[in-house]
Amino acid sequence: MVTLFAVVVLTVAGAGLARASVDELAGLRLTPSAIPSLLGPIDGHGRAGWECAPEQAARATEAAHAELPSPDR
Amino acid sequence: MRFAAVALLALCLAPGAAAAQMYPDIHPIPRTTDPAKLRETAVGREIQERFRIGFDAEGRGDWAAARAEFDRIVELHPSEPAGSSAYYDRGLAQFNLNDSAGAAASFAAAIRLDPDFLAARTNLVTVDLQRGDVGGARKAAEELIARAPQSARARYVSGLAALKAGDAPAAARDFGALLERSPGYAVAHYDLALAEVDLGRLDDAERDLRAALRLAPKYALARFALGTVLARTGKRDEARAAFDEAALASHDPALVNLATSMRDALSH
Repeated sequence: MVTLFAVVVLTVAGAGLARASVDELAGLRLTPSAIPSLLGPIDGHGRAGWECAPEQAARATEAAHAELPSPDR
Repeated sequence: MRFAAVALLALCLAPGAAAAQMYPDIHPIPRTTDPAKLRETAVGREIQERFRIGFDAEGRGDWAAARAEFDRIVELHPSEPAGSSAYYDRGLAQFNLNDSAGAAASFAAAIRLDPDFLAARTNLVTVDLQRGDVGGARKAAEELIARAPQSARARYVSGLAALKAGDAPAAARDFGALLERSPGYAVAHYDLALAEVDLGRLDDAERDLRAALRLAPKYALARFALGTVLARTGKRDEARAAFDEAALASHDPALVNLATSMRDALSH
């Protein structure tokens, strides 16, 4: 988590927090959301008919079924 | 003599007696003496058993044991879909053993065997993102999107790769497409806002960040991003409040410290 904000911290520290201005904030690069976890294992028979959970998550058209990160930070 | 014959006949016809003589059919008795067919049957059984053992090992997090099983299956060149599945599972084991390059190679091999294997395609993009190969991630994501433009996961990883590459227009397209089908996914609003910031569309970014926060009020990262956007548009009081709320909402010490510092800096 600390490394996630390394870019932001370094940029702001370099500018000097006590003198934060609009221009300095303009140089601040925000961190994208988390990289998702890998989809899980598949057994020897699990892909028959593409019914296995990882393939279904990969094909899901709605985020709620795609095993994507939640807004937990 | 007649009694004995009747008893023998009854024993032969009794269903219980017949069932007791049957064997499970998971390992059918080979009905051939042809060496090639016998070998094929034996290899098939080995693949099936190693898949079971490897899958169980993955389930309990014993990735080294799992990798050994899938390495062997790959050597046996099973037919589809077992071949691509073995490469896929080997990729998972390699990733969890900190061999990201090996994992990427295994997912790529799975895709070569079965180009429609979307789980392997999304995992390849994810591994490339994890190991910092943004160029590889973008190429894999482009091929993934071409095959599954409606896939939420495809749009998400493709958008992340675009953001990391600094390609804000592509990121905005991906997260915008994701939100068309999943308008309630707060994280996509956040990432779209980041692309909009890069494009200089600060009003759109503020709107998307507020949408994310309506969906997930404790989303500290979005609250922090909103503070930066508000500060850049001259709304210092609102920005200060946003940083304060981000600090209160977050459980991440780094984010709490940063938000508090930003709030205090804006007070001067």
